[in-house]
Amino acid sequence: MDVFEALAAPTRREIVEILASTGKLSASDIYQRFDASPPAISQHLKILRESIDEWTQKMTRIWNKRLDALEKVLQAEKEKLRSNTKKGRK
Amino acid sequence: VSKAKHEFKIERIFDAPRQLVWNAWTTPELVMQWWGPDYFTSPSCKIDLQEGGRFVFCMRGPDGTDFLNGGIYREIVPIEKLVSSIWFSNEQGDLIEPADYGFDPIFPKEQHQKVIFEDLGDSSRLTIDYFVESEEILEILRKVQMREGWETSLNKLARSLTV
Repeated sequence: MDVFEALAAPTRREIVEILASTGKLSASDIYQRFDASPPAISQHLKILRESIDEWTQKMTRIWNKRLDALEKVLQAEKEKLRSNTKKGRK
Repeated sequence: VSKAKHEFKIERIFDAPRQLVWNAWTTPELVMQWWGPDYFTSPSCKIDLQEGGRFVFCMRGPDGTDFLNGGIYREIVPIEKLVSSIWFSNEQGDLIEPADYGFDPIFPKEQHQKVIFEDLGDSSRLTIDYFVESEEILEILRKVQMREGWETSLNKLARSLTV
């Protein structure tokens, strides 16, 4: 699930807000703040965790590939500059 | 007060002078060579390199589907810094709602990207920062950010969720 979709659920948004306003909390601290059962809240936590990890990984993956491609372009441009300089000297 | 908050950051050191890295980001012919990596190609790229100027980058998937990213340059410091807003767009660069692109409506309509080019002598460091301005989500991230400082809020959040 996309992180933005994950945050679309009110309970998950509430969890995030609680975490944001109080800093680090244990799972049982979080359970206590909700009427829903611990397994239900635990499931929400899992979805949040996974979606955030997934999103970060996805962005990292896309950009790493893109930057790999950029690196090749830069090498080719450097080569061009080098051969142009040589030609210029002749 | 800017609504934009840090959200995703990636950096890379290139064995190339900074001017070259800058050129690769701001010259359409060069952008087209790396914007659509792997099985993607980039059939077109338009750049109006001035503050308030627009750009449209196109990525074409293996099945021929085009993904267009349009945007506007907010801040330009030549060979040092590029700040832009970026969104899903049509060929003219106009914003297209994420929902119309098949994303959840809560997906941010507009993302903000800051690219920093640093001179390290023979090499250069490129840093790409992403920000989101989606009121609802941002409000949440802002709270996290206030507590946690400059590290990526989402990573921080992920860690604080590892309870």
